[in-house]
Amino acid sequence: MGINALARELKRGSTELLILALIEERDRHGYDIARLIDERSSGAISFHAASLYPTLYRLEHKDLIEGRWVEKAGQRRRRYYRLTPAGRKALASHRSIWIGFIEALNRVAGVKHA
Amino acid sequence: MPDDPAPRIDWPERIRRALSAAPCTPEDGVIEELAQHASAVFDTTRASGGSIEEAERRVQVLLEQWIREAPALRHRTSRPPAVQPPPMQSSSWLAGAWLDGRYAIRLLRRQPRFAALVVLTLALGIGATTALFSVTYGVLIKPLPFPTADRLVVLKETRGGRPPRFGSFSNTAYLAWREQAQTIEEIAAWTPRSATLTGAGNPERIRAANVTASLFRAIGARPMRGAVFTDNDEAAPVIVISEGLWRQRFGADEHTVGKVIQVDGESRTIIGVLPDSSSYPDRQTRAWLPFRVQPPNGNLPSMFEAVATLRTGVSIDQATAEGTARGRFAAPTGMTTNAIFGGDGPVGVSARTLTESLTGDVRRPLFVLLAAVGLLLLVGVTNVAGLQLSRATARRRELAIRAAIGASTGRVIRQLLIESTALALLGGAAGFALAWWLLRAAPSILPADFPRVVDVTVSTPVVLFAIAVSLMTNMGFGVLPALRLRKLNLVQSLAEDGAAPAGGRGRTSVARMRLLIVTGQIAVACVLLVGALLLGRSFFALLTTDRGYDPTQTLTARLSLPSPAYTATRRSELLGRIVDRMSAVPGVRAAAFSTELPMTPGGSTSAFTMPSRDAAGGTVTIQASPRIVSPQYFAALDLRILEGRSLADTDTAASEPVVVVNETFRKRFLGRDALGARLPMALWGQNQEGEATIVGVSEDVRYVGASTTSLAELYFSFRQLSVGVRPTQAWLMLRSNGDPAGLGGLVRSAVRDADANLLADSIMTLEDRLLASSLARPRLYAVLVASFAILALLVTGIGLFGVLSYSVSQRTRELGVRAALGASRLSLVGLIVRQGIGVAAAGVVIGLIAAVWAARFIDTLLFGVTTGDITTYAVVPAVILLVTLLACLSPARRAARLDPIKALRS
Repeated sequence: MGINALARELKRGSTELLILALIEERDRHGYDIARLIDERSSGAISFHAASLYPTLYRLEHKDLIEGRWVEKAGQRRRRYYRLTPAGRKALASHRSIWIGFIEALNRVAGVKHA
Repeated sequence: MPDDPAPRIDWPERIRRALSAAPCTPEDGVIEELAQHASAVFDTTRASGGSIEEAERRVQVLLEQWIREAPALRHRTSRPPAVQPPPMQSSSWLAGAWLDGRYAIRLLRRQPRFAALVVLTLALGIGATTALFSVTYGVLIKPLPFPTADRLVVLKETRGGRPPRFGSFSNTAYLAWREQAQTIEEIAAWTPRSATLTGAGNPERIRAANVTASLFRAIGARPMRGAVFTDNDEAAPVIVISEGLWRQRFGADEHTVGKVIQVDGESRTIIGVLPDSSSYPDRQTRAWLPFRVQPPNGNLPSMFEAVATLRTGVSIDQATAEGTARGRFAAPTGMTTNAIFGGDGPVGVSARTLTESLTGDVRRPLFVLLAAVGLLLLVGVTNVAGLQLSRATARRRELAIRAAIGASTGRVIRQLLIESTALALLGGAAGFALAWWLLRAAPSILPADFPRVVDVTVSTPVVLFAIAVSLMTNMGFGVLPALRLRKLNLVQSLAEDGAAPAGGRGRTSVARMRLLIVTGQIAVACVLLVGALLLGRSFFALLTTDRGYDPTQTLTARLSLPSPAYTATRRSELLGRIVDRMSAVPGVRAAAFSTELPMTPGGSTSAFTMPSRDAAGGTVTIQASPRIVSPQYFAALDLRILEGRSLADTDTAASEPVVVVNETFRKRFLGRDALGARLPMALWGQNQEGEATIVGVSEDVRYVGASTTSLAELYFSFRQLSVGVRPTQAWLMLRSNGDPAGLGGLVRSAVRDADANLLADSIMTLEDRLLASSLARPRLYAVLVASFAILALLVTGIGLFGVLSYSVSQRTRELGVRAALGASRLSLVGLIVRQGIGVAAAGVVIGLIAAVWAARFIDTLLFGVTTGDITTYAVVPAVILLVTLLACLSPARRAARLDPIKALRS
C-alpha cells in the first residue's frame, strides 16, 4: 500500500466515523452533517462536501444508515439519515479501532492526542 | 438578511443542468438532495453577510466537485429493484393484495393436487365442526321460542325421595300448590297422547297433548287464529290445532276455526290454531285437548307432567321449597302412592329449567362430540400446516428471488398469508357447504327423540362460527410457516440451489417441527380411537346383550283403541280376533298382543299386599307392572319360562285364573316358592274380582342401557279378564320364520278386517325399534366418534407418509453414503421404518395417557365396558402401528431402491 493509498483509506475510514458519530446523536440531513463537521473541527478537518454524498450513499448501501424523506410543514422535504442497528455496531468498532490506532501511534511515534 | 432579496433560483433545474456534463446523470432523488444542499449553502452565505457573488462562488465549487464524483452519486438501496415492485403505500395496499391474491390462485391452480388435498382436509374438519356446532347451538344455546322461557320450569314430584313410575306430578300436590301459589305465576299440567282424526279426509293418527288452560298462559302462547281454551273450557269438547296440521289437513283454510272434527270418535270444535313456534312440548305435537286436574278420586291419584312459570325474581330453590311445603298438606292417597312411587313418604318437589329438562341428557354427549370433532379439525389443520411448512421450504428459492428483486419481508409474508387465506377460505366455503348438507340431513340422522331438532338450522351464529373457524385454521397453518420466513437468508437460499443439507431425521428445523406435528397428530388420533372403540364396544354390548327375549324376526305394530269409541270388552274381542287371524297365516310362528311394549319400562303400575312366607308379618306390599297379553306372548318374544308353564289358550274365563310373574317379581317378593302363590286380580281400579294363581315364572325383560332396573311384572291372559282390556293401546307382535318386514301388509289387513276404523301404525321390527329408541343415541355417538377417529387416522397416516417421504428426500445423500459403504437394503428400510415407529410410539404413549384422562367424560355413555377397557387400550396401539407401517411402505421402498451413485451425485 503506497502512502497515497494509506491516506485515502484513512480519510475514507475517518469520514465514515465522523458521519456515523454525527447521526448517532440524532437524525440529520446532508447539509447539516457537512456544516457540523466543519463547525466542530473549526475547519481543521477540511472536508469536501463532494465526498459527503458518495459516502452517505455507500453507508446506506452497507445498511449502516438509512435515508428517508421527511416533510415538515412549510418546508421542502429533506432526506434525513439515521443509524441502523448495524450502523451502531460499525460505529462502535470504528471508534475502538481509531482509539487503538491513535494509542499505537502515540506509543510508537510519540504523536500526541489532538 | 441582506436587503436585496435572494433571486429566485430553480436549484434542482440548475443542478441537473450542471450535472448533465457529467458522464452519468444522477437520479431525481439525488438531484433534489444536492439542490437543497446547494440552496442551503447559498442562503447561509447570504445570511452571514456574503455577497451574491460570494454565494455563487461557493455553490460553483460544490458543483464542480459533484460533477467530478457524479458516478458515485446515486442512492444505492441495499436491494436495488430490477423490476418495480407493486407499491406498498396504504392507498394501493389493496391493489398489491389483489395481485398477491391472483398470484396465489394461479399458484394453487398449478398445484391442483396440493390445493385439493388441503381444501378437502379443511372442508372435512370445518364442515364437521360447523355442523356439530350448529347442533350444539340449536339444542343447548339458542333460546327457546317461548316468551317466558327463562322462567319456565319443569316440575318433578318425589315421595320419600322416590320418583314416580310414570308421569311426573300428582294431582294432590298440584292442587295443593295451585291454591296458594306465591312463588309461581302459573302451574300447568299436561299428558302426552295420540289421537285419531276421522271425518274430512283419511283417518290420521297424530301426536297430541291433553293440557290445562293454564299451559298456554305458562308458555306465553298466542294463537294465530281463533283462541286457546280458558279455565272454563277444561271439560268442553274443543280442540286447538297446530299451524302444521292446519296447513296440511285443512289447507290453511281461514274458516277452519269453528269446524267440528272427529277426534277418537268424539266430535270436537276447533277453536284455535297455535303457531308452530309455540308448540309445546315439542313440534311433533299437533293438537291440544282440554284437561282438568281433578281432585283424587278416593285413593286414586292421577299423574301427569307439570310445568310452572316462576314469578320474576324468584329462584328455582324458592319455588321448589314452596312446592314441597304445599305438597305436604295434600291428602294422603294410601296404597296407590305405593303403586306409583314404590313407597310412601313426604312429598318433595324439584324443578329444572325447561332447557335443562329438554336437553340435560344430550348436553354431555354433545360436548364430547364437539371436542372430538375439534380434535379432528386440529389434526387436519396441523396436517396442512406441515404441508405448508415443507412447501415454504421448497419455495425458499422463489421467495429469495422475490426478496432479491425488492420484495420486503413483510411483502413476502403477506404473499404467503394471502395464499394460505385463499386456501382457508376455499376450505371454509367447502366446509360450510358440507355443514349445510349435513344439517339438512340432520333430522333423519338424529334419533327421533333427540330434543330441539327443529332448532338446528344454519343461523347467523353458525355462519360466523364457520368464518371464525376458517380464519383460525388459517392462523394455524398459514402464520407458522410465514413466521419462519422472517429468518430467510437470501444468500444461503440462493446459493444452496435446492440441495438439502446432508443429514436426516429431524436435523433441520422444518423436519423437527413436522415430526413434532405428526407425533401430536398420532396422540390425537389415539384419543379419538380409544373413544370410538369404547363407544363402539359399548354399542355392540347393548346390541348383543341378553335381554331375556329375542328381538330378531319379530314385527311389532301399535294399535290404538280409544274410549269411548271402544269399550273394554270390545277391545278384548277385537284384539282376540286380530291375533287369531294373524296366527293362522303360514310363515307366522306366533302372533300375540300386549298392553305394553317389552322394552318400555313403566307403563301401568299397581300395588297390593299378598301373603309371603319370607316376609316379616307374613304379607308383603307389592309394586308391580301388570300387563295384559295374549297367551302366545311368550312364544312371540321367545321369552324363556324359567319355572312352571306359560299362559295357554286353555286359560279362559271359565277356568281357574292364572298369572305368570317375572323373575324380578319372584326374587323381590316371594323367594323360591312362587308357584301356587295367589294374588288379587283387581288392578288399575278395575273391578275384576277374585285372585289368580301364579303358574309360571318368566325370564326378566331387561331394559338395557336405560339405567332402569327390571321391574316386577305380572302377565294376565286377556281371555281370563271378564271386564275386558282397559288400556286403550295395545302392541301387536309377530314372530316369523323368515324376514318379518314383509308381514306389515298382513298386520294392516288383519286390523282393517277386524274394524274398518282401526289403524295399525308404527309398524317396525323389534330390532329396528330397539335401534330407533334406546339404541339410537348410543349408535349415533359411536358412529360419529368412529368416523371422526377414522378420518383423523387417515389424515394422520397421510401426514406421517408426508413426513417420512420428506425425510427420505432429505436424507438421500446420507442414505447414498450408507448404501455405498455396504448397508443392505433391509437396513435402509429399517432406518425409515424405525423412524416412523419411533414417532408413532411417542404419539401413542402421549395419546394413551391423554385418552385415559379423557375417557372419564364418556363414562356415563358406556354400557358393558369400562373406561379402563384393556382390549381397547391394546387394540388402539396395534391399529396405529398398522397405519404407521402402511405409511412407511412407500418411503421405505424408495430408500431401498436408492442408487448410491445417483444419490451421491445429486
